[in-house]
Amino acid sequence: MEEYDAEWEYSKENIQPLRQGRSASALQQALTQQQEGSHTTLNLKKQSFESELRLYNGDDPLDVWVRYIKWTKQTYPQGGKESNLSVLLERAVMRFTADEKYQNDVRYVELWIEFVESCSDPMDVFRYMQAQGIGTMQAIFYIAWAEEYEKRGNMKMANSVFQDGIKCGAEPSERLHSFHRALQARVCRQMMSSIADHQKGEEKELDEPQRSSLTELKAKGKKKNTIPFNRANASLGYARGLQFKQPLGPKQNSRLMVFDDNKAENEPQEPKFEVWTAPPTARAKENEEKPVKWSNVKLPLRPRPGLSVVAPPSRSSFQPFVEEDDQPPAVTPCKINPAVNSVLSTRKPSRLEALTPMKKLQESQTMLMQLQTVAEDGKSREQSMYCRELLYSGASEFCFEELRAERYRQKLDLEKRRGQEH
Amino acid sequence: MSLFGTSAGFGSGTTGVFGSNAADTHNPMKDVEVTSPPDDSISCLSFSPPTMPGNFLIGGSWANDVRCWEVQDNGQTVPKAQQMHTGPVLDICWSDDGSKVFTASCDKTAKMWDLNSNQAIQMAQHDAPIRTIHWIKAPNYNCVMTGSWDKTLKFWDTRSANPMMSLQMPERCYCADVVYPMAVVATAERGLIVYQLENQPSEFRRLESPLKHQHRCVAIFKDKQSKPTGFALGSIEGRVAIHYINPPNPAKDNFTFKCHRSNGTNTTTPQDIFAVNAISFHPVHGTLATVGSDGRFSFWDKDARTKLKTSEQLDQPITACCFNHNGNIFAYSSSYDWSKGHEYYNPQKKNYIFLRNAAEELKPRNKK
Repeated sequence: MEEYDAEWEYSKENIQPLRQGRSASALQQALTQQQEGSHTTLNLKKQSFESELRLYNGDDPLDVWVRYIKWTKQTYPQGGKESNLSVLLERAVMRFTADEKYQNDVRYVELWIEFVESCSDPMDVFRYMQAQGIGTMQAIFYIAWAEEYEKRGNMKMANSVFQDGIKCGAEPSERLHSFHRALQARVCRQMMSSIADHQKGEEKELDEPQRSSLTELKAKGKKKNTIPFNRANASLGYARGLQFKQPLGPKQNSRLMVFDDNKAENEPQEPKFEVWTAPPTARAKENEEKPVKWSNVKLPLRPRPGLSVVAPPSRSSFQPFVEEDDQPPAVTPCKINPAVNSVLSTRKPSRLEALTPMKKLQESQTMLMQLQTVAEDGKSREQSMYCRELLYSGASEFCFEELRAERYRQKLDLEKRRGQEH
Repeated sequence: MSLFGTSAGFGSGTTGVFGSNAADTHNPMKDVEVTSPPDDSISCLSFSPPTMPGNFLIGGSWANDVRCWEVQDNGQTVPKAQQMHTGPVLDICWSDDGSKVFTASCDKTAKMWDLNSNQAIQMAQHDAPIRTIHWIKAPNYNCVMTGSWDKTLKFWDTRSANPMMSLQMPERCYCADVVYPMAVVATAERGLIVYQLENQPSEFRRLESPLKHQHRCVAIFKDKQSKPTGFALGSIEGRVAIHYINPPNPAKDNFTFKCHRSNGTNTTTPQDIFAVNAISFHPVHGTLATVGSDGRFSFWDKDARTKLKTSEQLDQPITACCFNHNGNIFAYSSSYDWSKGHEYYNPQKKNYIFLRNAAEELKPRNKK
């Protein structure tokens, strides 16, 4: 057994952990394939999924996406751009937003939760989901949302999320209750230990403030607001029952740890009043936006914990205007900038890439609907006379011939199999 | 429900029992119909090179066959020969001396068809369907260039089973053109690569696409000295880009124009945008023809930047086109291009190839 050379031993740090764990054999195969550079089998499998996405005509299209994504995760353990995982997740999630039958399908909700992890502002996404009714009957939705709050130290909201879930009767309720209880236990422990430390802290203050190592530097003077450190993990540390000597945040507020002031400002008390009509800012994309004219692009503000920040623009409740036609407003013929100067090109490389992430989501959503023509202002402008959704369904595009060739191949396979049966 | 034989309900509408207005939209331009056209969509057309006397037309189709017709001076077409593949034929080309025809297919192979002996043998192999095939005649070598959906571009000396060179592309090959010493390949995800073929093929430059939508067809044009100097690139959204490789003033010289759209001036109804299926340059005048999913062909003068002519609308998309060696004949095929998926496919519908006299209509507009 010692001679068995597990490939994954050498690339442990590159493998993204999966919640449900990884199949050892699939991992092994994926890593050796990547090592040897045998892309053809991978490409073929990917192509077959892409075709299946387009040619599927059964009742459960979500199934194809789920299998494709699952295969992608297993085959590309490192994640990353090559796997197209984020593209797939985004598309899968957007594809079925309007589909009522999937709204509380546990597979669909799981996809959303995975998608959330790659978003720049998960809270927005969760609120959007709730407004749309996606996952509101699933325990995992509330559990994931509460976990997000807890990560940011906002125990009060985390608790209220659980209460929401229980009120809605989310299933499985046992699971929901048990996670809720666990949260409450953590909160209690946190409060207990912070009380204990507070007392210890008071004793220390009576002594001459000697320099003691491994404790927090106390805030001198009237200044009560110190920037907290250890934000993200401290609450989890409490959750694991470890007692840090260093209380989180300013000592004076240790009793009120739960109401982490710096974070509470970020989460307005009643976000639920807003009706989310537009999907929120999407995943944090790296290296994908080509240089474009900046006057048209809006950067979403990322709320930084620790600062009181105005809510990011994506929270507006109106539907931002999306121009249906953003081609250069030129009459035939129109002049374009040359490819020679491509770094500073002012051409929008593609309709989708030039839009802000949220506009892109809206745009792709409209694209995926049947030959959508009407722009936001009600004027219809252009209509593409080809099967857009068939071409752009999966992670990569198809051309007409590929679609047709795929159908031809499937028909041939079917005939072959029928021939063998007889 | 219409009684006059349009799409739904009462059949394909070509032989309309229910009305005569459907009867002649298959050939509104009253052009010469090639006899014995293929039984399924025509994917490619090509005329014989000037080295051969007379005019021979080759057409590949989705019925897995390649057919050859002789086009006589009086306009008569005579079917001459046929070869089969085990999958739909996607592209064809002639050798420079006109003795061989090369055919590329979805069955991942390419064949060399010797017309004299009427024998076809396999001379190329890929891991995925071969989308383009072109003959390269260089002073120091001859070869066949094949572009495939397996993301490789391979060059074959017809005598050997292994390619003499294989170049990796960033994405699947969607269309290509060769005019020595230049080759252009347009790939999926709007990739665009120019190759130079002197001494041996090598990648010359990767270009950023001048178009925003999927690349569909490309054709190289020449300058006054008959040297390749740029190309025309068509997309699936009714637009063609004219791009020079080394223009004196790129911002002014390169441009795009809209084509194959409907309802141009009518702003109340949406403008329908169709795919540009093929582009061909007139060998003498340097003007170009485009054919589209809308079932029309158009002639353009790229130097004067004007449209010369647009045809009437055929009842099917026009899938391929080509000029003969002296530019007197323009051939175009009318069949379903799969632009709306398989739901709109009617296997009963006939496919046509038309021939049109092109000597006059493609004369360039005089620049004012």
